[in-house]
Amino acid sequence: MTLETTTVQPVVPPAAHEHAIAARSLRRTFKGGIEAVRDIDLTVASGEVFGFLGPNGAGKTTTVRMLCTLLPPTSGSATVAGLDVARDGAEIRRRIGVALQEIGLDPVQTGRELLELQCGLYGITGRRARERAAELLDLVGLTDAADRRTKTYSGGMKRRLDLASALVHAPTVLFLDEPTTGLDPASRLTMWDEVRKINAGGATVFLTTQYLEEADKLCDRLAIIDNGRIVAEDTPEQLKAEMGHDVVSIALDEADVGTTEAALTGLEGLERVVSEPSALALYVEDGAASIAEIVRRLDRGGITVGAISVARPTLDDVFLKATGRRLEGQQDQAQERTES
Amino acid sequence: MTEVLLLGRRAVREIARYPEATIPTLFIPLFFLVVNIGQVSKTFPSSTPFLKGQGYVAFQLPVSLMFAVATATSGLALVTEIDLGYFDKLLVAPIRRSSIIFGRLAADLVRGIATSTAVLLVGIALGARVQSGVPGALLIVVLSALFGVAYAGFGILVALRTRNVQATQSSFLLFFPLLFLTPNFVPFNRLSAVMETLARINPVSYVIVGLRSLVIDGWDAGKIGVCIGVIAAMGAILTMLSLRTIATYDR
Repeated sequence: MTLETTTVQPVVPPAAHEHAIAARSLRRTFKGGIEAVRDIDLTVASGEVFGFLGPNGAGKTTTVRMLCTLLPPTSGSATVAGLDVARDGAEIRRRIGVALQEIGLDPVQTGRELLELQCGLYGITGRRARERAAELLDLVGLTDAADRRTKTYSGGMKRRLDLASALVHAPTVLFLDEPTTGLDPASRLTMWDEVRKINAGGATVFLTTQYLEEADKLCDRLAIIDNGRIVAEDTPEQLKAEMGHDVVSIALDEADVGTTEAALTGLEGLERVVSEPSALALYVEDGAASIAEIVRRLDRGGITVGAISVARPTLDDVFLKATGRRLEGQQDQAQERTES
Repeated sequence: MTEVLLLGRRAVREIARYPEATIPTLFIPLFFLVVNIGQVSKTFPSSTPFLKGQGYVAFQLPVSLMFAVATATSGLALVTEIDLGYFDKLLVAPIRRSSIIFGRLAADLVRGIATSTAVLLVGIALGARVQSGVPGALLIVVLSALFGVAYAGFGILVALRTRNVQATQSSFLLFFPLLFLTPNFVPFNRLSAVMETLARINPVSYVIVGLRSLVIDGWDAGKIGVCIGVIAAMGAILTMLSLRTIATYDR
């Protein structure tokens, strides 16, 4: 199924824009001088799934709210579907679909009523609205629950309905702000499938996430945002490739970071060392070949470590390299990888 | 206009599905009506000049009508939507922001008509006679409902400005001084000098006096005109402030 179905063509036909989204020096400062977004530049090509990866409070939602015309930028400029967010808010709103992090559902209405109302707000009424609502309920697998009030829905069902409500008018650009946060793994996979279907239907998807795997699996390109600044931007593959060849992770346990790092200085093929509170990540040309020398050096220095492992770089390593720390919520995952 | 109708229909559906939000707004004014009549009907028998041959219920009825229609329900519904994120969903839709307000007010009109009709019928059952007849009774219902719409603007304004449920809920408390600093128990000339001054500068007094005139006097163009004027002015000011606030919301 695609967005352009038999019942609804896009409310506004998509125009040919090289960039679905373009931002230049976009900044938002809140009261009290809090700089949520600091002069970011980004471009999202039409038809791509673009990921915006970052920890809580990095500036993802503020960026989305500015691009959706919900929040004016303090400075800088941005265009969505070729239109200026500061000047053409009304036109942009006709072309975009939005599912914000906070699920925007009216608990008093049924799923079907909510979608039919949403259709009405986009000028789709009567039989077309009923058909479009039924079609979207089917798309997100909620036909059986369509006539129940949304307050009885599970978290996953609410997310899917929220997504459906963002699609009623077949938007050109779809903003999904952490669409899988709080979902169980199965619901997350379902949501990924739905995002792929939507993108296959022609919509550009701008997706914020704090899940590395999600960014890796879903996105054609992504930007990493931290503390209001974009610190890396490229395809997931390219970002990982730029990391070097292998990552050797050393769980330090009781070992001292400085002493361990000093013992490994000058290691052959070592490109970079990133230290964390309880681990060291060594970026080396050939991980397997380096292990023996690493063990020898640690042994010579009388340093006892917990575990040593070799892996290909992940987006977590990209994040670590770009920010000097692991992505919030991914610490445990990183630790597990180190111990494996 | 379509947007207002769609959002109004949704708000009416909300009222119908949450009767527990409307029933107390009906129960309390009826309770006060019965209790007040019980307490003072011997003090003010039908021979009392200002009652013009009617029981005290006729004098109290407009106060209960005001009590029934003046609620913070719309403000509360709006602030809950802000809390839940549905408000953002509406803001990002290609609709005029004003339609969010007018949709709520349309539902207030429907609720006001329903509750004021119920209170009026109870008043009539308790012995009140509407001297202006059926057309007067219809006008009482319409004016009461419109007062409810006008007052709802205050709750909406507080909801938009504070984005806080407790603050919006508390905004209803403002109505108590507005309702009680009026000739609600006795006419202006029976109030103490201070109370009379306060009541005369309180616009709500003139709404009560206008509605009361339809019950007790019949058709008094002067009192009805002032009543309509106060409701219109109050509605215009509060709605305009709400519209201005929503237009600049997060902008």
